[in-house]
Amino acid sequence: MIETSGLKKDYGGVEAVRGLDLRVPAGSIYGLLGRNGAGKTTTIKVLLGMAHPTSGVARVFGLAANEPRASVEIRRRTGFVSEDKDLYDAMTVEQIVRFTSAFFPRWRGDLAARYQRMFELPGDRKVGALSRGTRAKLALLLALCRGAELLVLDEPTSGLDPAVSEEVLQALVSHVAGEALTVFLSSHRIAEVDQIADHVAIVDRGRAVVAGTLDDLRDRYRRIQLVFDGDAPEPSFRAGCVVRAQRRGRVLTIISNGGAEPILDEARALRPVSVDVLPVTLKEIFLETVRTED
Amino acid sequence: MLWYKSWLDTRWRFLIPLAILWINACGLVFEYAPVANVFSSIHVETTGSGVLGRAIREELDAQRTYAGYIWYQWFRNNLMAMGTIGAALLGSGSVLSGPSGSGLFTLSMPASRNRWLATRAALGLSQSFAIALVPSLAIPLVSPLIGQHFDVGDAVVHAVCAFAVAAVFFSLAFLLSTVYPDIPRPLLIALGVAVVIGLIESGLDLPGLFRVMSGSTYFHTRSLPWAGLLSSGAISASLLIGAGVIVARKDF
Repeated sequence: MIETSGLKKDYGGVEAVRGLDLRVPAGSIYGLLGRNGAGKTTTIKVLLGMAHPTSGVARVFGLAANEPRASVEIRRRTGFVSEDKDLYDAMTVEQIVRFTSAFFPRWRGDLAARYQRMFELPGDRKVGALSRGTRAKLALLLALCRGAELLVLDEPTSGLDPAVSEEVLQALVSHVAGEALTVFLSSHRIAEVDQIADHVAIVDRGRAVVAGTLDDLRDRYRRIQLVFDGDAPEPSFRAGCVVRAQRRGRVLTIISNGGAEPILDEARALRPVSVDVLPVTLKEIFLETVRTED
Repeated sequence: MLWYKSWLDTRWRFLIPLAILWINACGLVFEYAPVANVFSSIHVETTGSGVLGRAIREELDAQRTYAGYIWYQWFRNNLMAMGTIGAALLGSGSVLSGPSGSGLFTLSMPASRNRWLATRAALGLSQSFAIALVPSLAIPLVSPLIGQHFDVGDAVVHAVCAFAVAAVFFSLAFLLSTVYPDIPRPLLIALGVAVVIGLIESGLDLPGLFRVMSGSTYFHTRSLPWAGLLSSGAISASLLIGAGVIVARKDF
């Protein structure tokens, strides 16, 4: 559905995206995780033809994102919510719904009416007079009802209070459950991605440092904790899957991205008094990955 | 819907100058009688041969008839100034990113940047033409009320001359708006350029944009300033194409 290869984007010598490789399968809910300034928004802009790549390839639906005609076709088949939820302040809710619907032949008027009721969006209110939360719900309505095959959401809950965030995410999840959709969601909120995504890429400084299904990541990443009688020995493992090894007093903690097995034999050879293999949360994977990159 | 959006963005910048100019045009017609009395009582022996002297002589000579009064006061002064301001105002403000930063929503629509630009340019030029034409047509319409006549054809020709040059300043502001997304900067720069051109033309007594805009050639010789009109069209087209090239390359 989305494919990037060696994608680079410079802004006046500042590298926002530095050789990004992504493959978003059709039907997935793909979370793009990264710190602020990691290149998530720039990637989305390139995919939707809002920014031109410096080099590399970006394709959506198999169409080249930087080719103007193909880009129009990509946008015809894509729903988008920007981080700032920028809409037309001078229009009323009804006007902007009507305006947006005119661009999309497969516009879902039935859904629009339902979401307008569900989100309690006042049709005659100017968009500029809406609260941040209501504006986010309107932006989501305008994206969901396009009859799109792909939803691109850039920090969809940014700036929202937890209650509204949850409402927006629930609406998104229930919408996706009933439609044949691919969702590409960028966020720096790990819990949000963990809650709804089935695929994840962690982006740091313009590069994807981890990518895969969430289940696969959870299977692959392990924390191996070794406790020794005395001080833990200096860690030195041959296995290439060690993300990080940290020695603290009698405890040696190893984070592996290739499961526990390749490390356990080496670990046991150090003769610890106990060996524990623990699962790693997405938050820990994120923090360990980003820390490693530092 | 592109037209609708462009209309929403520009309607007040169009309707307010249009209304002001319409009132102004009608007002000029009704002011003719007292002004004519004043002019008939003025006899100038000499005004010198400098720029100022020539300007005074031209003003006095032109306004000894009703047609001359209308040409001088309306087409040469008010419409020229207000038409330039109105056109620059309509050309100002980014098409793709509004003052509240609505760029990404616009860009997420399945319409090319060129389509957005072309729609806004076409609407803005139409509005500039209406600003030149509609108040000018009020003059032949209202003139019989004071027992005078002004030819509709002359009003249209003068309005076309005014529009042709106003389009240059519209296009300049339009081009500047691809760099500065707000309204004030493109407007002020375009008007600054207009003032400099006006000062150079009048100071050096050169035939230029504002002479074409005033319809001076048509008023004095009944012939159209084709070279000026075509040059203005070419300058406008170049500026609009330049705007298209900049926006096509731009990253949002």
